[in-house]
Amino acid sequence: MKVNFNNRDPVYVQVVRYFKQQIATNMLEPGQEIPSRRELASELKINPNTVQRAYKEMEEAGLIYTERNLPSKITKDEKMLHSVREELIIEAVDSFVASVHSIQVPFEEVVAILKEKYEEVSDENKRGESND
Amino acid sequence: MIEVHNIIKKFGRKQVLKGVNFTAKKGEITCLIGINGVGKTTIMNAIMALTPINKGSIQIDGKAIKKDTFDRITFIPDAITVLPHMTIEESMQFMRDYYKSWNDQRALELLSFFKLNPDEKIASLSKGNTAKVNLLLGLALDVDYVLMDEPFSGIDMFSREQIANVFTSHLIEDRGVIITTHEINDIEHLIDKVILLDDGVVIKQFNTEEMREVEGKSVVDVMREVYQS
Repeated sequence: MKVNFNNRDPVYVQVVRYFKQQIATNMLEPGQEIPSRRELASELKINPNTVQRAYKEMEEAGLIYTERNLPSKITKDEKMLHSVREELIIEAVDSFVASVHSIQVPFEEVVAILKEKYEEVSDENKRGESND
Repeated sequence: MIEVHNIIKKFGRKQVLKGVNFTAKKGEITCLIGINGVGKTTIMNAIMALTPINKGSIQIDGKAIKKDTFDRITFIPDAITVLPHMTIEESMQFMRDYYKSWNDQRALELLSFFKLNPDEKIASLSKGNTAKVNLLLGLALDVDYVLMDEPFSGIDMFSREQIANVFTSHLIEDRGVIITTHEINDIEHLIDKVILLDDGVVIKQFNTEEMREVEGKSVVDVMREVYQS
């Protein structure tokens, strides 16, 4: 695991966001065990108290669950998993819209550029796959 | 919890500490920050009763410092204090004889954690490895609180990384740590609480995650505000 932390957002919030990304992209699967608090702290070089807080938040949100003394696991709740993906998409689109809006680009122009760029990226990915 | 109440310390006519107040909890890493000469080391010496204070009080878990307090707290100074002609093994032996809180198993774990060779002489160690031995000798004691004076000063990036890794390992466990450092970048994501000192007083103290959450500021942001305004 590798997270590039910024210094201004609470670290625990950044840890939760990281887990959401991993869940949304299926890097972490439903029911998969996650590292212990100490392990993750050591891996990410952050305070174990901070990891504890992130895990607590995720537990309360139903993103992870813990049975007795076993390691915590990613939720199997389909609805929950779906909403994580939705949330990340909305978040990304929101910040995109905010920054494009601030430079006052007309909607049609944005859509055209967006379509073009999207196709570029998909083409590159396809080429990348065929090269493998 | 370590509670420092309004301590005043004079060296001759010069008042170095002019009423310092702060607390440091067990299970948390508290960082004392201030420019050189601001009195950070004096505060640590005062907590360890190595220097008498002129006024104020220091309590550890609600009790004044007494002789038996030193079974519960250790101070790791910024320079190694064991004799240079000793090997690492001999310096460990020395500590074992001297401190009843010495924990052999933890000492060995630290030895392998830092990848040190016990047969090497202190005098022949690199600066980075000397700093690691220094930390080893302090952290191998079974105590509740650890004070560290500038553990990162003057050593290379990889040694600093290795030392920072100690903070997230079980070798610190749930002890309380008070640390002074100028290398804030090495431990920015590790510290729970910051105490900013200037001119003999605490000018600001805050919880790092709360600061990020409520004001969206990093430790360095706050330092710029406080010291450069």
